[in-house]
Amino acid sequence: MEKKIFIISEAGQDNNLQETCELISFARELSCCQLPTIILLGSRIEDQARELSKKTGCDTIAIMGDHLDLFNAQAYAHAIIDVLSSETSLWVCLPHTSMGYDLAPLLAVSLSAACVTAVDGIRDGTLSRSIYSGRFIMDIIPQTPTVVVTVLPGAFESLEPEIPLPGTIRIVRTHLPALKSRTLGVQQALHRDSTLKDAEVIVSAGRGVGKKENMDLILNLAAMFPKSAVGASRPVCDSGWLEYRHQIGTTGQTVAPKLYIACGISGAIQHLSGMNKSETIIAINIDPNAAIFRVAHICIVEDLVSFIPVFIEEMNNCSL
Amino acid sequence: MCIKQVPDSSDTLAIDEQSGRMVFKPSTVFRMNRYDEFALEEALLLKEKFPGTSIHALSLGPERAGATVFRALEMGSDHGIHLVFTPGMYASPFITAWFIASYARNRNYDLIITGVMAEDDMACQTGQFIASFLDLPCATSVISTEFQPEGGTVIADREIEGGCRISVQLEMPAVLTIQTGINTPRYPSLSNVMRARTQPLEVIKIEESDLPERREICSGLRLPDSASLGTFISGSSREKAGKLLHILHEKAYLC
Repeated sequence: MEKKIFIISEAGQDNNLQETCELISFARELSCCQLPTIILLGSRIEDQARELSKKTGCDTIAIMGDHLDLFNAQAYAHAIIDVLSSETSLWVCLPHTSMGYDLAPLLAVSLSAACVTAVDGIRDGTLSRSIYSGRFIMDIIPQTPTVVVTVLPGAFESLEPEIPLPGTIRIVRTHLPALKSRTLGVQQALHRDSTLKDAEVIVSAGRGVGKKENMDLILNLAAMFPKSAVGASRPVCDSGWLEYRHQIGTTGQTVAPKLYIACGISGAIQHLSGMNKSETIIAINIDPNAAIFRVAHICIVEDLVSFIPVFIEEMNNCSL
Repeated sequence: MCIKQVPDSSDTLAIDEQSGRMVFKPSTVFRMNRYDEFALEEALLLKEKFPGTSIHALSLGPERAGATVFRALEMGSDHGIHLVFTPGMYASPFITAWFIASYARNRNYDLIITGVMAEDDMACQTGQFIASFLDLPCATSVISTEFQPEGGTVIADREIEGGCRISVQLEMPAVLTIQTGINTPRYPSLSNVMRARTQPLEVIKIEESDLPERREICSGLRLPDSASLGTFISGSSREKAGKLLHILHEKAYLC
């Protein structure tokens, strides 16, 4: 018997529809002949459930409760398990976000399921995921009837199914169980830099910059372009070489400039998801096997410390 | 404190084509997972704030992982535990967490801290599994902590998408998985280095027969499809710079 597929969706997120559609694409790769069922969680979510079922054609189970308004792993797990407890063989798919990976192991333990996270590919029931910052790929075969999967955002296309019939909607109301954790609230981002969003050219620094003094190279290169801004991968901000408002990636900002120049960036998935929609990507990295070269359109294997000054010199010569 | 030993760089790694397993070249240098360094620093800061706190650093891994536990002692941990395990095949985070939880059960730890993920397999699972096995609350991707000893609770701010944060209050004992940037990991002090020299590790051997049933099997490692590679520009540095400039002009990115 074919496994039923469920998709977990957190209501009220800006990119909720896109995330859900990506998971539907993933589910269609798991099984071409069934549409997954969406489990939507939140408070007062009837309208959103209706819209999801209309736009995707998927049957939707809306689990509602005031305590589900803000994400809480224990509360969410409790509510989901309640709905799924009668099922014995299923795929449970979540986005690999702070919600998805927080929740996945908890669901896996309750459902006696395999747990495979940050999946970015699938072939004949084998799930693949990138390791070592995209340098290698690991193929995983789940061994249990039920499998919990988190899928990397951006790994599958966000296609809305073609003019589907709306799916059915089931509303489930739950009450707050006794929990050992309580969600207090959400704080909006402290560091937002609108210059990144508005820039047409972003020159971005990675760990390969080596030391804070070399950041001048990045700033100088950015200054060569009109409407440019400086970005960074997380390790650069963690090292204090640049402020967090410059951070691009999963936990920073998502950008899509006309030109993105990645300098000394290895290409960890967390960074790629924040910039891989850029029109043209140039990567400068000393390591020919760096994962950044798989998303870059133009690849330059060079030590940025020696290459950028040469490049700036060429630019200056040219404009004379 | 749960720490993992990882290769310092992926440059010294290769895949054995026949077995599909990772091969570490002799030049491979191993060190502590960076995420765990931040987690350990958070534990050390906690100890400074609440005297009497004792930090046990634990790592599950092959013989060589003992060096990383030793490093945790040098950084200021009070006790080091090495669960020696050289798996014949891929051990998923489920298995790692299983053994860590088995060790921690009945030992009454107030807090279990680890990195949000390991740099090598980037799974983000181990901490949550440990919490689930021990029925403890857990917060992942923690970027700030505030302890409330009177209430026996901790408030953890989790970093979520787009740089936002979500605050969670957990009853202790609890599990926290730490995000980088929460603090600045210290270098070992001379006194701690000297102290660590005389301190034996608690070593426990794990046999294949102790393993729980595997829920995930790795059918092999491989290199990403080379078809996805972009265009490499060849030549000397200056030639590359010239060609790149030409492309930028063609695409009208420069005026």
